Amino acid sequence: MSAGGGGGGAHAVIPQNNIIAFGIVGGLLGIYGAYFLVDIVGPYMSFLGALGAICGIVWGAAAVRRVANYGLGTGVPSIGMLALGIGIIATTFGLAVGGILGPIVALIFAGLIGLVVGFLANKVLNMGIPIMVQSMTEIAAAGAITIVGLSTSMIGTFMFFDEVVNGVVVAQGVASGVMTTGYIAVIFIAGGLAILHPYNANLGPDEKQDRTLACAFEKGAIAMIIAGIVATITPFASGSLTILIGVAIWYVSFSGFYKRVKRDAYMVTGAGLLPSKEELE
Amino acid sequence: MIDIVGIIAEDFLNILLITLGGVLISLGVHLVPVGGAPAAMAQATGVGTGTVQLAAGAGLTGLVTAGYMMNVTDSMGLIIASGTVGAMIMISVTMLVGQWMYVYGVGCPAASAKVKYDPITKDRQDLYVSQGTEGHAIPTASFISGIIGAGLGGFGGSLIYYSLLSIENGLPEADFIGIASIFAIGLFFVNAVIPSYNIGGTIEGFHDPKFKRFPKAVFASFVATFLAAIMGVVAIGGM
Repeated sequence: MSAGGGGGGAHAVIPQNNIIAFGIVGGLLGIYGAYFLVDIVGPYMSFLGALGAICGIVWGAAAVRRVANYGLGTGVPSIGMLALGIGIIATTFGLAVGGILGPIVALIFAGLIGLVVGFLANKVLNMGIPIMVQSMTEIAAAGAITIVGLSTSMIGTFMFFDEVVNGVVVAQGVASGVMTTGYIAVIFIAGGLAILHPYNANLGPDEKQDRTLACAFEKGAIAMIIAGIVATITPFASGSLTILIGVAIWYVSFSGFYKRVKRDAYMVTGAGLLPSKEELE
Repeated sequence: MIDIVGIIAEDFLNILLITLGGVLISLGVHLVPVGGAPAAMAQATGVGTGTVQLAAGAGLTGLVTAGYMMNVTDSMGLIIASGTVGAMIMISVTMLVGQWMYVYGVGCPAASAKVKYDPITKDRQDLYVSQGTEGHAIPTASFISGIIGAGLGGFGGSLIYYSLLSIENGLPEADFIGIASIFAIGLFFVNAVIPSYNIGGTIEGFHDPKFKRFPKAVFASFVATFLAAIMGVVAIGGM
């Protein structure tokens, strides 16, 4: 079916291991930073969660780029939806049983399901992609970080349950603040698109890693802005700083993306306006 | 600390039902005529979009109809039937409108390139396939196959949803429904992508030779869903 790369390993300037480290360390730092600093400093620190999510998104997009370059046969979007599907399952489990270790448990179990699905894809479905197992593990784990990060920036915590003192809710949990309200659907689509879209938009023989990743940063910034808009109407997180930083990151990364598009294009030229009826006759 | 073994033992039936639901979704996807990008240009038989999008559309409608039925009754049969019919209606509408586009917009007849005669109407197919294409639009066999596939998918999806909501726990009802639905959606996506890798992105329906590959995807879905079901049941049961 749809095109999906040249059927070989993708050329990479930044080694994948560095991107994995960036995704895991950056993602967890952002999520835990948001969790602790919201308590210590104030609700506006919830933007750190979205920064963590951007790290996860960039990691996911880099992994999608690597695996989809072999040609999945189904189009790139399927793997992004798979990442978020696994991510949702692992996040629910991880945050519900993990308590303060929730994001780490979610990350590990997402990787575990990803590992199993990757193994099944290669051994049972005979997809024959050498990096399938590693990439599925990475993509699923990146999906989990994205979901936890965006949830944290929306409500200011990753605790699953409401914190109730004397019958008054003092902090909203992910269960009631993100899942019941339906914001999880926003995370699903915004996060999933951010992971699958960069390679889908840039694929082709002239695909370059830095251009794809610049696009991933830009999509992550859009997800961050959306999380900020949601945070403005949730009681225990503040959205304005999230939106401002999101717009700034979007501007910088979109300029970077546009610069790289111009660099890689054979020629950029203005096509002018459509000719008028008289000119055509 | 949650008593993980206790919850698994107590809800083992629900784990099995969730796994069965995942397997049914996986089987159902094999029956939906997915044409992917070539079909969007009327160069392959089927609806012109990916497996995941079609399965998600039908499956989510199934969840909505099942959830609505759950409002008024507790009967497992009615809830699952409602989810099944919801998904079938959704896919039928999608295929019907797609068919109008192909016939009146693109101007091509419905034809399958995989078989010489339509297995249901016995109409000749190969004469109507344009040169250089792999069929176009949605022939009768594919249409019927798609309805059956969406029915299986909707059945599986609402079975997962119903099983998750049968787990005993201490959550407020609104939170419980929210978590169960999003979990069912997550499982739906995983089980839509696995068969999509199996068929390489496109299939015409039960008459397509690729359909014979379904045991592999069903096995893969079984393993993946079983693992996810344990996690879901432990998470929800422990609340």
